[in-house]
Amino acid sequence: MRLYEYEGKGIFKKGGIPVPWGSVVESAEEARRVASEIGKEVAIKAQILTGRRGKAGGIQFAKIPDEAANVAQGIFGMELEGYKVNSLLIEEKLDITNELYMGITIDAENGVPVAMVSAEGGMEIEEVAKRNPEKIVSMLVNPLYGMRTYEAINLVRQIGLEGRALTSASRILSQLYNVFVANDARITEINPLVRTNEGKMFAADSRCEIDDNSLFKYPELKDLRIQRIGNPWERKGVEGGVNYVDMEGNIAVMANGAGLTMSLLDMIKTDGGSPVCFLDTGGGLSEERMRNAVSLLLKKTKTDQCIKVILVMVRMMISPPDAVAQGILEAIEEVKVKTPVVVVMRGRAPYEKRARELLGNSAVSLCSSVEEGIGKAIEIAKA
Amino acid sequence: MAIFVDKHTNVLVQGITGKFGALQTELMLNCGTKIVAGVTPGKGGQTQFNIPVYDSVQEAVNKHRVDASVIYVPAPFVQEAAFEAMDAEIKFMVIITDWVPLHSEMKIKAYSKCRDTRYIGPNTPGIMVPGQTNLGMISPSAVRPGVVAVVSRSGTLTDEVSAHLSEQGIGQSVVIGLGGDPIIGSRMIDILKLLKKDEQTKGIVIVGEIGGTMEEEAAEYIKAEFDKPVIAFVAGRTAPRGKVMGHAGAIIMGERGTAESKINALELAGVTIAKSLWEIPLLAKKVV
Repeated sequence: MRLYEYEGKGIFKKGGIPVPWGSVVESAEEARRVASEIGKEVAIKAQILTGRRGKAGGIQFAKIPDEAANVAQGIFGMELEGYKVNSLLIEEKLDITNELYMGITIDAENGVPVAMVSAEGGMEIEEVAKRNPEKIVSMLVNPLYGMRTYEAINLVRQIGLEGRALTSASRILSQLYNVFVANDARITEINPLVRTNEGKMFAADSRCEIDDNSLFKYPELKDLRIQRIGNPWERKGVEGGVNYVDMEGNIAVMANGAGLTMSLLDMIKTDGGSPVCFLDTGGGLSEERMRNAVSLLLKKTKTDQCIKVILVMVRMMISPPDAVAQGILEAIEEVKVKTPVVVVMRGRAPYEKRARELLGNSAVSLCSSVEEGIGKAIEIAKA
Repeated sequence: MAIFVDKHTNVLVQGITGKFGALQTELMLNCGTKIVAGVTPGKGGQTQFNIPVYDSVQEAVNKHRVDASVIYVPAPFVQEAAFEAMDAEIKFMVIITDWVPLHSEMKIKAYSKCRDTRYIGPNTPGIMVPGQTNLGMISPSAVRPGVVAVVSRSGTLTDEVSAHLSEQGIGQSVVIGLGGDPIIGSRMIDILKLLKKDEQTKGIVIVGEIGGTMEEEAAEYIKAEFDKPVIAFVAGRTAPRGKVMGHAGAIIMGERGTAESKINALELAGVTIAKSLWEIPLLAKKVV
């Protein structure tokens, strides 16, 4: 789950990392009030979950509170990279001498955290990575011991910092690592980490993502994560415990397992068909999750006339055939749309036999192989 | 032994009395898996399908020879369960559980290196040697004994690929699900290194998918020193592009991780690419 800049700065601050003085607002009037409290030039930053807001006009400055209110009004009306702006972060504007980069994420290949720093932070950091990879130095961290102070110092030294800058930056790096661990993050990133005229360092931006598998430890975030999903169908999917994604075409595809679902999309495309959306139910299906999933797709067909057919594939390793079949039939009964449903149910031999008993003479067309199911769905979609 | 396990492997089940663990234990027993003990704290002294249940792994290994542990405990407890097994000197684990926190996965991986323990998962359907043993949930009707190893990142797709091979008369030396998570115990390259030396295995089917760099890493190894025929199926060629994980994610991944990157790397390594499930057995027949 990705956090907003102000939320990330909140956990940075708790972890001891210096952040600019400011607060988050939801109206132009509040922006004026915060700007006058700060009492100097302010930065006004759109709070949206994309990194490219700066170039799109989502970050502006104002010298006096009235100007801050006007600028805020303007940004509230914007749509940036497809996101509507609902909140702004108003912060003191810093006198910056240079911008650094600092990030902690997971190196999956080695299965450990990796810390990265660069003296060339800012918007072009990915370009730096491509053109001058030697300007970004990195270090793997042992997750059993955490980051040692001397390790942080040694890494930061490599980008040429010395004296007070070296100790400040390495302390922030250690703190950033602690924030990464304490919040079960997949990434904690400061870009840019700025140095002011007075030689102080501040996290001028934050990028934090919390591991979704750890959200059981943060119930308040778990609810927020669902509320923040913009696409209503995706949101309904997550509420029902499944993963829904929109595409463009006329065949709705559903399967249990990400690999299986993606492979169906590929094969449909290869054979000349066109998936309109897909839904991965995950493994170990219950009747309820199956019913929710099929009913979501059937409801989608009511609002989207493009959908000609629904292809459902369940590989029954542990998902019992009765739950799967009943879930499908109940959803069809509940939603009452005439969209044809093609079903492929394969797996343990007794399960396949039972699936035939349950669905052989029902409203769905039951196919015995993946190839047949895909062929049938494409045929219906083209008719 | 093909790799990791065979019919002589004595298996411990952690979480044997849970709803999921119990169901799975019964299915494994039906496949001939030699389950010698189970562990559920607080349930010591009971039995499950006539298998003795202990409060701790140490107690179980004191009473039985245990070669491998299959872990079914709920995600929040997986790290403790895995550390417990490793501390009890169990040298191979299968972590079936899904939704394990990433920071737990990192710690399990780091500790496994200290303890010299190998494992597959988390979030894996397990490992099956057809006709011998099954540590996990791969369907017995999907497999038959043979000479092709199936090495997959997926769950249900692993089962489906094996079924496609079996239906065309191509048996498997081993079917192994690596696990669908970013941090797993054994990566594709680790398994290939073992399969290289395995006499039973004459050819390999790799089932990859978009994301991560495992296929690229495996391709480099195949190109440099793997001499058995390899067929690959990469899922996600037409999937919408996922969101990159910040600058840090982009810096680490570079251009890797896409289906094109994986397919190109594998083709350069001499691997034959299957475009559909039904093409896999046809290609496999040509090489083994």
